Amino acid sequence: MLTIKTIDDININERLYQLNLGPQHPSTHGVLHFLLTLDGEVVVKAEMLIGYTHRGHEKMAENRIYEQFYPNTARMDYLSGMIFNTGYCETVEKLCGIEVPKRAQYVRVITSELNRVASHLLGIMDFVMGIGAYTPFLYGWDDREQILDLLETISGSRLTYNYSRFGGVRVDVDQAFCDGARRFVDRLRGRFKLYKDLITDNIIFIKRTIGVGVISKDVALDYGVTGPTLRGSGVKYDVRKNEPYSSYQDFKFEIPTKEEGDCMARYLVRMAEMEQSLNIIEQALDNLPEGPVRADVPRFITPPAGDCYHSFESARGAVGYYIVSDGTRIPYRIKVRAPSFSNLFVMNKILPGHFVADLVAIFGSIDVTVPEIDR
Amino acid sequence: MNMTQLPIIKDVYGFLGPDLMACVTGLLLILMFVPLNSAFLVWVERKVAGHIQLRPGPMEVGPHGILQSLIDAVKLMCKEMITPDLADKYLFWIAPCTVVIPAIVCFVVIPFSPIMQVRELNVGILLIFAFSSISGLSILMGGWASNNKYSLIGAVRAVAQSIAYEIPLLLSTMSVIIMSNSLKMSEIVAAQSPVWNFVWQPVAAIIFIICTTAETNRAPFDLVEAESELVSGFHTEYTGMRDALFFMAEYTAMFIGSSMAVVLFFGGWYGPFFSGIFWFVLKAYLLVFVTVWIRWTFPRLRFDQLMNFAWKVLIPISLLNLLVTAIVIKVL
Amino acid sequence: MLTEGQKKLLEELKNSLAKSVSEAKISESDYARTGYHLEFKSSQTGSRRVAKEMKRKQFNLETVTAVDFIDSFEIVYLYFNYYQDNIRVIVRIRVPKNEPPFTISAVYPEAIWLEREVYDFFGIRFKEHPDLRRILNPDDAVYFPLLKNFGKTKITDEIDDMIC
Repeated sequence: MLTIKTIDDININERLYQLNLGPQHPSTHGVLHFLLTLDGEVVVKAEMLIGYTHRGHEKMAENRIYEQFYPNTARMDYLSGMIFNTGYCETVEKLCGIEVPKRAQYVRVITSELNRVASHLLGIMDFVMGIGAYTPFLYGWDDREQILDLLETISGSRLTYNYSRFGGVRVDVDQAFCDGARRFVDRLRGRFKLYKDLITDNIIFIKRTIGVGVISKDVALDYGVTGPTLRGSGVKYDVRKNEPYSSYQDFKFEIPTKEEGDCMARYLVRMAEMEQSLNIIEQALDNLPEGPVRADVPRFITPPAGDCYHSFESARGAVGYYIVSDGTRIPYRIKVRAPSFSNLFVMNKILPGHFVADLVAIFGSIDVTVPEIDR
Repeated sequence: MNMTQLPIIKDVYGFLGPDLMACVTGLLLILMFVPLNSAFLVWVERKVAGHIQLRPGPMEVGPHGILQSLIDAVKLMCKEMITPDLADKYLFWIAPCTVVIPAIVCFVVIPFSPIMQVRELNVGILLIFAFSSISGLSILMGGWASNNKYSLIGAVRAVAQSIAYEIPLLLSTMSVIIMSNSLKMSEIVAAQSPVWNFVWQPVAAIIFIICTTAETNRAPFDLVEAESELVSGFHTEYTGMRDALFFMAEYTAMFIGSSMAVVLFFGGWYGPFFSGIFWFVLKAYLLVFVTVWIRWTFPRLRFDQLMNFAWKVLIPISLLNLLVTAIVIKVL
Repeated sequence: MLTEGQKKLLEELKNSLAKSVSEAKISESDYARTGYHLEFKSSQTGSRRVAKEMKRKQFNLETVTAVDFIDSFEIVYLYFNYYQDNIRVIVRIRVPKNEPPFTISAVYPEAIWLEREVYDFFGIRFKEHPDLRRILNPDDAVYFPLLKNFGKTKITDEIDDMIC
């Protein structure tokens, strides 16, 4: 006999289906694989499958001397390569007790902050593109291009920088670079109005982001979320303020925070952070001390046996290098704490109950780089 | 040669007479106009998008890249048409064929000028609405037959969306129809000779434009395609010319929607100095430009927001507008 | 260079950690050189008790990792206090290769993935872990890449030959 099922009779499991979002998908930039269990268009369960771009940087580190690991660092997070590169050098300097000249520290700050602005520009615009507005992406790209051109003049590369050295930086900055940086600061300050009109005040953007993907303070702390994502949830934590490195204590800047913890809050925190970064760049350019840019260090360094942990703020959160040295020229173990790794894991917790369209928005607002997760 | 001089032909086809001529020439013109128009619109879209986004757009083929879309069409024709293994072969094949039907049929009743109309029907408006619903069907067929979850989601969205947005679309059209008292396209235009309907019916006009944007699946209502969520929605699995047919249908639907808006609200072929066709096409392309402009400025709505917007905002407002129109006409 | 608050918190931490894990060795270390204030060393046991204690003191887990010392593993947990005093605590648990420690993922959900990563690279099967699978390496891999006996590890002289 044929029995007619009503909606309530249907077992919930029969209504669910699985969707593979990625690894090749327009909005999982990089190769990230979401295995979603959906009820209609609502996510019931989400699992992130990672590792598609695993290159084994940590194993590579154990097979080469400290100097040979320079180029690997920027390839982990290709969007804030300068910060990763500088952070690695600072870790080894800490391990060996090398004192870095003041000018080199300031140059590092300037380049790192420029890199942070570039990364935030890309992150925000990618987020907006995930929501469906394609035009702001290219406006942001235009601004970002200026930074890449600037950094290219001193480091020779546009994305995977290899600029910092143990005890300083590779080459000194010249007047043209400083002028260019100042011009860029002025230019970007003028563009914030445009971004506000085009994105922040857009009614559809507001509807799509407010109250979407809320990460509460407790969840954020439990899952080890850091960076703008954590600050968007109302925790005032920034490595640059909490554990100042590389002369960050010399500069006046704020840590922007928002209490809401939704996509809009994270977006606004990033926007405000760019303004703060511009302030830091301006102060560093004003007070750039004279002197050498590299301390007198041996060509190949041999750190003493022991270990060292150094934390620094990348565009995505607190990165940590943990280096164990056995007293030879080759590191015994280098562990990289990747902020995106923890930032991504929190999506496991917050995704259920959201639409697939929200997934794209949340993913964009958390702003992870996949090669950094996979290392 | 005059057709009446041939007695046999006259005997057989005489009762058709000028209708046959109009039919053949009209059909030929439409078949020429539809692909060329969509090729032109693709170029316009890319060019406008380019200039909005601080880049020149296509520049290589022809002056300012004007021949780019033709070359693209040639490329698409040369491409292999892949049918996925697990797809429903017949439906997968039929869907792109049916999607061009409304694109061609709807042109039959559009009055480009007082004399340039292939066929004057008593129920012209009705014909356009009836046939444009077919595109929803073919999107559903294409999405279902692809056997791809993204396509299926896109297809289901398309159906829900077209049902929701057809209601305010028809309601806003209704307010114009009760004003001009006719379903004939030419009479509706003729009724606007001193003052455009837009002046009397601004609310209906805006609702009409919003709804045609949604019906043609254009941003910010392009949830059917929603690149960042559904890859390409219902035509994810389509390649080559089949994909191009979907594109052609979309751009033609855009043009038809704009022409409808011109007929209903913006005075059709009326305008000073130049002939009717010039004004009609100019107005239609201006409206197309507005949709393109909107697309490249706004983000995309979420699906539940889209539905809420139709059912909770547009339908009540258009109903109210219709009621007010009816009362005012009755009282005056 | 420690502030008053930091000194106070360090003392409290020392006492409470010593109370909860009596067999451990706790010592202060030079922050400027090593990047952490307090070092906690223990063999085999105590990872969960320390985690609970740290959670109670509002510390956050920064990372979990392991170091392969040929004869044994050293599991390293890094805790950091974001809130007021910026104290970083390193917890080292020495475990024999055949006796893995307990998971701390019930205390810090973040550790689910971090411990999966440690398992993936070192083959340390954390006890009572809810979801211990491969994470970065292929699911069907039979190797644990960060073990010292995996692949060829170059010695310093070879690299010297290459460079000079």
